Amino acid sequence: MRAVAISLKIPDNTAYTALVTLRRLCVDVHRLERSDIYFFESDDAAALAKRVAADETIFNPNKHRLTVLDEPLPRAGEVWIEPLAACRRERAGAWRLFDETGAPVSAAVLDAAIERLLCNPAIDRAVTGENARDRDNGNVGE
Amino acid sequence: MSGRIAVLVFPGTNSEDETLRLLRDCGGDAELVHWTQAERLREYDAYVLSGGFAYEDRVRAGAIAAHDRMMDFVIEGAQRGNLVFGICNGAQILLEAALVPGTGAIRKPTAAFARNGPAPHFVCRHIYMKLAAKPSRCAITATLPDDALVPAWAAHAEGRLAATPEHLDEILAGNHLLFVYAHADGSIDETAIPNGSALGCAGLVNREGNVLAIMPHPERDAWNFNHLDRRDGGVLAPSGGAALFRSFVSAVSS
Amino acid sequence: MPMPLYSSRRRRRKEMPLVSGLSGAPNVALRDDELQRIRERLGREPSMVELHAFDAQWSEHCSYKSSRHHLKRLPTAGGSVVLGPGEDAGALHLGVHEGERYAVVVAHESHNHPSQVVPFEGAATGIGGIVRDVLCMGAEVIAVADPLRFGRADAADSHARRVAEGVVDGIGSYGNAIGVPNLAGDVYFDEGFEENALVNVIALGIVKESELIHSFAPKGAEDWAIVLVGKATDPSGFGGASFSSVTLDADEAEVNKGAVQVPDPFLKNVLMRASYRLFALLREKKIVAAFKDLGAGGILGCSAEITAQGGYGAEIDLDKVNVAIEGMAPEIVAVGETQERLIWLLPEEMAREAVRIYNEEFTLPEIAFNARATIVGRVTAEPRYVLRYRGEVVMDVESEFLTGSIRDDLPYTEVILHEGAVDELAAVDVEQLFPQVLAHRDVASREPLYRRYDAVVRGCTVLPRGAADAGILAPVPGSALGVALAVAGNPRFGRIDPGYAAEHAVAEAMRKVAAVGARPIGLTDCLNFGNPRKPDQYGEFVAAVDGLARAATELDLPFVSGNVSFYNESSGGRAVPASAIVGCIGALEDVGRVVTPGLKSADSALLWIGSRELAVGGSVIAELLGVEGALPGISYVGERAALGIVHDANERGVLLSCRAIGAGGMLTALARLAFDAMVRGRNLGVEIDFGNPLCEAGGFICEVSDEREIDLTGTLRIGRTIAGSELVVNEVRFDIERLFRIWSQPLDGIYP
Repeated sequence: MRAVAISLKIPDNTAYTALVTLRRLCVDVHRLERSDIYFFESDDAAALAKRVAADETIFNPNKHRLTVLDEPLPRAGEVWIEPLAACRRERAGAWRLFDETGAPVSAAVLDAAIERLLCNPAIDRAVTGENARDRDNGNVGE
Repeated sequence: MSGRIAVLVFPGTNSEDETLRLLRDCGGDAELVHWTQAERLREYDAYVLSGGFAYEDRVRAGAIAAHDRMMDFVIEGAQRGNLVFGICNGAQILLEAALVPGTGAIRKPTAAFARNGPAPHFVCRHIYMKLAAKPSRCAITATLPDDALVPAWAAHAEGRLAATPEHLDEILAGNHLLFVYAHADGSIDETAIPNGSALGCAGLVNREGNVLAIMPHPERDAWNFNHLDRRDGGVLAPSGGAALFRSFVSAVSS
Repeated sequence: MPMPLYSSRRRRRKEMPLVSGLSGAPNVALRDDELQRIRERLGREPSMVELHAFDAQWSEHCSYKSSRHHLKRLPTAGGSVVLGPGEDAGALHLGVHEGERYAVVVAHESHNHPSQVVPFEGAATGIGGIVRDVLCMGAEVIAVADPLRFGRADAADSHARRVAEGVVDGIGSYGNAIGVPNLAGDVYFDEGFEENALVNVIALGIVKESELIHSFAPKGAEDWAIVLVGKATDPSGFGGASFSSVTLDADEAEVNKGAVQVPDPFLKNVLMRASYRLFALLREKKIVAAFKDLGAGGILGCSAEITAQGGYGAEIDLDKVNVAIEGMAPEIVAVGETQERLIWLLPEEMAREAVRIYNEEFTLPEIAFNARATIVGRVTAEPRYVLRYRGEVVMDVESEFLTGSIRDDLPYTEVILHEGAVDELAAVDVEQLFPQVLAHRDVASREPLYRRYDAVVRGCTVLPRGAADAGILAPVPGSALGVALAVAGNPRFGRIDPGYAAEHAVAEAMRKVAAVGARPIGLTDCLNFGNPRKPDQYGEFVAAVDGLARAATELDLPFVSGNVSFYNESSGGRAVPASAIVGCIGALEDVGRVVTPGLKSADSALLWIGSRELAVGGSVIAELLGVEGALPGISYVGERAALGIVHDANERGVLLSCRAIGAGGMLTALARLAFDAMVRGRNLGVEIDFGNPLCEAGGFICEVSDEREIDLTGTLRIGRTIAGSELVVNEVRFDIERLFRIWSQPLDGIYP
């Protein structure tokens, strides 16, 4: 499985609003990046990039940036919000948080952001680098 | 005592004018309160959260608005027993703020109005809301007849009640399911549900019965000109969905 | 200062491949002769900014240079006209409530090429643009409508399917978010639109006639502030490539994506509400201001026209413009087409108040990145257009030369009609064919499509989209005044006879409005044609304008707004079927008199009122049978009489239900009346006798309670309503529920 991240290259108003709101909720975050993650069964990164770039329902070169991720896992300081009910992984909303030094936030800060705003546990699953590895080991899936 | 009603306007709200008009036509003392005037909410006895796309539904439908300064006052008012009535996007906000079903902590949602199913599209469809509990279960519906059918329009892309099985059980056990979707004759089946909502849910009430969240819009089927073939009196007179607003206004005033 | 006949702004396409010898300006489409004119008038080489300015202003879509002289043939005055074509939108007198005269504001345009390339955003920005056209007249926006023409869209993975889906979702997402109901529209699926879909959009507004705001500087506007409001200017859409030129092949489509604007309905929602607040303040202070939408030509086009059309000039400081990124070239800031922007001309004190309302009361800068209201320049008495950038003058030209009318007289060939072989069908197998007609993609229920649109936000919907032939609103709170809207334009007709198709479009749109009990008060059109530089394709356009002019004159109804879209052709150079798409606006003094949907009672008379021309050309039945023929004729005497009879029958209270006859013919109209009764729980059917009930002659099918109350001249009693849900035609019996299933499901495949 491969993951493709689509982010905005124009100002991301949603990221801005989320950042302001998280700060109001006393989450210590300085900068926030948002992208949409799409999952594909594919081995060839170049061919995948080409295919996704041609799909106007996902990608508009006028406003989007496209990245084929090295591995389909959230990075440090990043959470992927996926629908709880989905039968298979199709897409996720990715949020990556940075502190004032420009470094990804700690797991504790990320967890606070997830709990206070980014995830509604009634419908969403929050996948981080930590718990994704747990899941791969068969530990998640209650 | 005649209670004062605030109709909240978040950036992105789009149904405030007709909601206000109907409240006033039903005898309510109602005003709009904009997001820059949150402090003013102290002056009101009841709050209506109308339809739209507050904060563009950024992050999730209702998620940002649930943390807006205005909601601090609404939550505080609700805890004092003031009435809170959320319609469509307003209902989504109330679930994100966790005022309904109210089975968890404030702003720790236990349910959501999620993306419609099975087709994940916006749906605009005329429906009926049928009481799934006694009218007295909720102060806002207290003066409706037991067999009330409230005509309204579903107009949303995220109206499917979704929660984990445990939380759905809590909703049923706690009698939080107040309205379900129904046909014009009051019958209930899958085809009456426009969005795949769990339990056929169209509306939820909190434990104390003072906060109501409904997805459909009764204010869009609320004057005789909205439903000429069910008309009841002059074309400009409130009727149909106005029944729920009348009940709300009388609850605010009592 | 003469005003252009047609709204002279915004077209989002540039028209021609670029001129050689302008290596520094690769995207300029000015022709050599036009460039020479500019050099001569300026007495020097134009600056880069000036080059782009003239390129935008003299493009087809800003200047209407090859259509305007033809459009002059359309009737645009008289009757209910409050404001004819020439500003951002037209206006029609709707009625009087509590002593105030109310007007309905009408704007209409196309967003065809962007929607073909980036369907969702192309269509959404189409709605965004048309809404601004209505807003800037000082009106509250009350409705949108969307005549659509798609390719067949049968194959799930085809581009035509993605266009058909993406366009509908784009229109829905924008209209739903700003809270404006979708009131009317139509859709045809035809292989002629496979490579070039048509996305036309209409918006309506409501305003007191005394409070209309114009889009030109009023008297005494000298030294007023020029206030730019809205989204931060960004480079998207500038120089991205011309959406025009002759083809849209795959590679070009890829490049062209860059030229599609990014819509922001959330910002628009707030922008609209903030503008309503400012309207109220202007009324209170009795200030006559000017307000105009930014379209093609961006800040430059809008500020030049809004000042020049009042006889003034303008001085703009580009450094004051709120931008999304720093360091953009001045020509990009000046002519870039970023969405969600408008310009006000206001006296200084009011300008400061406007800035406060937008930025503080409605917090624009918190809604979208660097969105705001900003004073960017001044109105000048001297009619010159001057731009400054970093302290230097980068443009200085006579306003009139920049914005004045230019004209291209292009050659055209008269349309030659190919006479069809079959004029009439003697007998058809109704039992076999009628279900096929109901399931035909151009007849089947449109509900799967329009249920994605909010039809009822604002709470003033009387007949929502799809409930009847026209949608109706009661737009003035506390008043029973009603406004109706319907659209028409059958591409199968257009393919056979562009001129006659245009006449039919006018007549059909009027019939649809009349069928719900409204009085037609005005027309709007969007002319979608091929390449004006190909004489045969240009000839179709000319014929269509003639057709519109003839029908509107004969039926005595003016056009108050319109738009022309050229270069709608495939990569092979084939033009789309001639598409003069017409909207008709109707008025009701009392929405209580609306003719409500569906049959009402058993044993009432069914009358066919109006034309019973039996020619089959362009009909669904002709397509199913594989025959060709001429279009049905139009008798204007008959049309006028039919409109009058239907109106009278309703006034006398004997018109129980009514449908205009259109695609699918008379029997389809009858079936729709029966369906509408069935879904409302009325168990009624019909029994009729008529030779070929599937021909698509015009006219109305009416259910009347008492024939004696009606002038029966030109009407035919075709049968009666019956108890029980059966449709009986020439003794063939159909179960109405079965027909309903056949009719209601076909589009579920495209719009699940």
